[in-house]
Amino acid sequence: MVALPMRRLSLLLLPAVAAATLAGCLQIGGTPPASAPPAASSVPSDPFAADEMRARAPIDPAVTAHGPAVLVRHATVMTATGKRYSPGFVLMQNGALAAVGEGDGPAPAAGTVVVDAQGRFVTPGIIDPHSHMGVYPVPDTEGHDDGNELTDPVTAGLRAEHSFWPQDPALERAVAGGVTTIGVLPGSGNLIGGRGVVLHLVPQRGARAMRFPGAPEIVKMACGENPKRVYREMKRAPTTRMGNLRAVREAFLHAQKYARDWDDWTKKQRNPDADKPAGDKKPGDKKHDPADDKAPDRDLGLETLALVMRGDILVEWHCYQADDMLAALEIADEFGFKVRAFHHALEAYKIRDVLAEKGVAVATWDDWWGFKMEAYDGIPENLALVTEAGVRAVVHSDSPIAIQVLNQSAAKALAAGRAAGVKLEDDDALRWLTANPAWVLGIDDQVGTLEPGKRADVVVWSENPLSVYARAELVYIDGALVFDREHPGAPWSDFELGIRAMPARPEAR
Amino acid sequence: MSRALRGAGPARWRLAAGLGVLLAGGLAAPSAEAEDAPPVVALVHARVYIPGDNPPLEDATVVLAGGKVQAVGSAVVVPPNARTVDARGKVVTAGFIDADTTVGVVEIDLEPASNDTRTRSTMTPGMRMVDAYNPRSVVIPITRAGGVTSVVVAPDQGVLGGQSAFVDLAGDSADQAVVRGSLAQYAHVDDETVQSSSGTRGGLWLVLREALQDARFYATHRAAYDANGVRSLSLRRGDLEALLPVVRGEQPLVIRAERASDIETALHLASDMALKIVLEGASEAWLLAEEIARRKVPVIIDPLEDLPSRFDRLHARSDNAALLSRAGVRVVLSTFAAHQARLLWQRAGNAVRLGMDHDAAIRAVTEAPADAFGLKGYGRLEKGAVGNVVVWSGDPLETSTRVEHVFVRGLEESLETRQTLLLQRYRTLPFSHDGSR
Repeated sequence: MVALPMRRLSLLLLPAVAAATLAGCLQIGGTPPASAPPAASSVPSDPFAADEMRARAPIDPAVTAHGPAVLVRHATVMTATGKRYSPGFVLMQNGALAAVGEGDGPAPAAGTVVVDAQGRFVTPGIIDPHSHMGVYPVPDTEGHDDGNELTDPVTAGLRAEHSFWPQDPALERAVAGGVTTIGVLPGSGNLIGGRGVVLHLVPQRGARAMRFPGAPEIVKMACGENPKRVYREMKRAPTTRMGNLRAVREAFLHAQKYARDWDDWTKKQRNPDADKPAGDKKPGDKKHDPADDKAPDRDLGLETLALVMRGDILVEWHCYQADDMLAALEIADEFGFKVRAFHHALEAYKIRDVLAEKGVAVATWDDWWGFKMEAYDGIPENLALVTEAGVRAVVHSDSPIAIQVLNQSAAKALAAGRAAGVKLEDDDALRWLTANPAWVLGIDDQVGTLEPGKRADVVVWSENPLSVYARAELVYIDGALVFDREHPGAPWSDFELGIRAMPARPEAR
Repeated sequence: MSRALRGAGPARWRLAAGLGVLLAGGLAAPSAEAEDAPPVVALVHARVYIPGDNPPLEDATVVLAGGKVQAVGSAVVVPPNARTVDARGKVVTAGFIDADTTVGVVEIDLEPASNDTRTRSTMTPGMRMVDAYNPRSVVIPITRAGGVTSVVVAPDQGVLGGQSAFVDLAGDSADQAVVRGSLAQYAHVDDETVQSSSGTRGGLWLVLREALQDARFYATHRAAYDANGVRSLSLRRGDLEALLPVVRGEQPLVIRAERASDIETALHLASDMALKIVLEGASEAWLLAEEIARRKVPVIIDPLEDLPSRFDRLHARSDNAALLSRAGVRVVLSTFAAHQARLLWQRAGNAVRLGMDHDAAIRAVTEAPADAFGLKGYGRLEKGAVGNVVVWSGDPLETSTRVEHVFVRGLEESLETRQTLLLQRYRTLPFSHDGSR
């Protein structure tokens, strides 16, 4: 019975997580990415990544030209800000939300597409911060088995973006589930798997054109069973949890030295004679030329970790057990960085007070459990309990099946929480899907709620998205219609051309 | 503590024997001294799902007595000795049946010592899942609390993987829980099994046909076989014996096939050898909906498996169940899971979201699995049926609905599970191990 086909098992076991868009913006908070770093002088302000950031400016022509303005009205509008308008409207213009509110909205200007959404529900696009679509695409093939670089337990220099196959047929199905943005992460076979990338789910020819504008860098790390299982089979370290911890600490120790070397070199470049006592200067001395100082060698992995310690890369850490998360937080304290979110975190409820105090988010499933030892204590009330404690909670998928029904996952976790006596609003469940994952990926100033000025990533549902029967009918990204259930088009994926029939979509219930 | 966790005495199970429940071949019937018979319970004012194409009854009564359903209807008189459960605004269904699970044979997937689903051989038709069934698995109360009262425990790999068991999710011993120790035989002809066995489809079908033909030969040469007077056969004696009811067309052969052409081959095999088959997986079955309906072959499907996840299911689509159901195929919905078999309701809900009729989806997790495997008395709320009944707070397929009461063979089961105990321990922090603060 195939409880877990091997393919899916490999995902479960090696959930990778990292979605990082190297979009070239190292600032947290979603400032639009500069095409080049702000170089005030000849000395790069970011000596690590200047060339790279320039190289990563978009090369594909913009395909998502903003369409006409769209006014969706007569709907129940769930904003994920605590406000709900019924009837309400959403006006999208030039890729952004121009207005959101109660009633029928403004009289539509000429050329505006008006959507009568009577009986429908409108929400922000769902954001899944933990996906391996594209790096573990379907169909399962050796040729596209690109999610885990299992040759070294620390591969911080990798980027999931460089494994991403934009023709993964799962991407379009996720959009049909109301998902507009994903964090694509490397697998969890390694302790530090590499950087992830944040992508907008639009059909493009390569990941570079899908990168979410201005998203910060993220890195995927992993605790617990997966790394030690992988490397035990190879008969090399780490094979134990203590081995895991040592390897992570050593990696950060190396990164500390690396950062110091670059800091020293940078200081010298700015002030070449700073290290010479004034008395040593003699007339006729040749002026010290900074160009004579050899820059330290760049190391992609250490660079990632140095930027983590500098707070420029968000840490997305795969951990299940409470004790593993506490140990991870100790490492973060030792090296002075913050954990943005624990992913999976099935035992987060046991340490929710600590997570709330530390400001660490929890991205998890609603009710998965039992597939391995460290997943034995998962309970369906996890999301509700951590929310009650003040932790930012997120429903993630880690699966191309689960990502299609994330709204149901939130609804189930809401029901479980209410049954346990946790006071929760529908809006809390919506925030698990939109606002909170936006924060986890550092793009909460741009998406995650329906508020004027934000990107127009919008879903129109057939009914309340917390119902099992709800279907996403219309999905907009940056104000452009990317999915229309009533009018299916050709498959997004080139792979499916000539394979997938183009029949009518399922009839309405 | 739930009965299952704490260990209720055997008395409650005497009735099971009295029910005429079919016990597994070779399994002893529970001892039959008896006193405390299951109490009489009346569920009143409920919306009640009844068999067939009938709409649910409104404001109806279900009476459970002697471990069975004694009465179902709108004008039922509540017996004076009955405990009454007011189910106004609630929904009553037959207990859900998950037609393909590994409940009770795996605690933790990745811990081999706790996982009896991984066989090293690919040809084990004699293997019986009932021998591995652990009635004390913590998965059982969790599954039951999801409204599932019976499951098929099935092999999930192997060209011929062995025999499934049909169990009720209660009881402290396998003898008590098991309804059928040998329910069906399992063949897997999907990509995974091709890769783990012969490496090619042709090789796999050769091995499979040869095994069945040898079993047929053995059926008429048993004496000679025992006297060492027959040609060599591809299987050992225990495996040949296990296949006898299959080649006689008495026991279903469940064939896991995904690609439409593999399903066609399976249908040919069934007619060539006069086998009774059930299809499962069947991602591309919608391409053969008319043919499968014509042959009256039941199909077991997970409606959430809609991805072209392997080369043998590139034509998978989300409305497979709806298309088959509309073509008249007997569709059975399943989780194919262990820990998440409790979510069978959600599979059915998604089948509805993806186009299946709501009441047909409920039948697909109650009557349809019972009919597919010939399980009389199961899956139907009608007089004389086994007293496996669930009271839901609302629509059983909706996310906000909770399971409020579960009856197995007429006895109410606790909804306490290892997970509710964890919740209780950590409901407030700092936690205390004994619940005191």
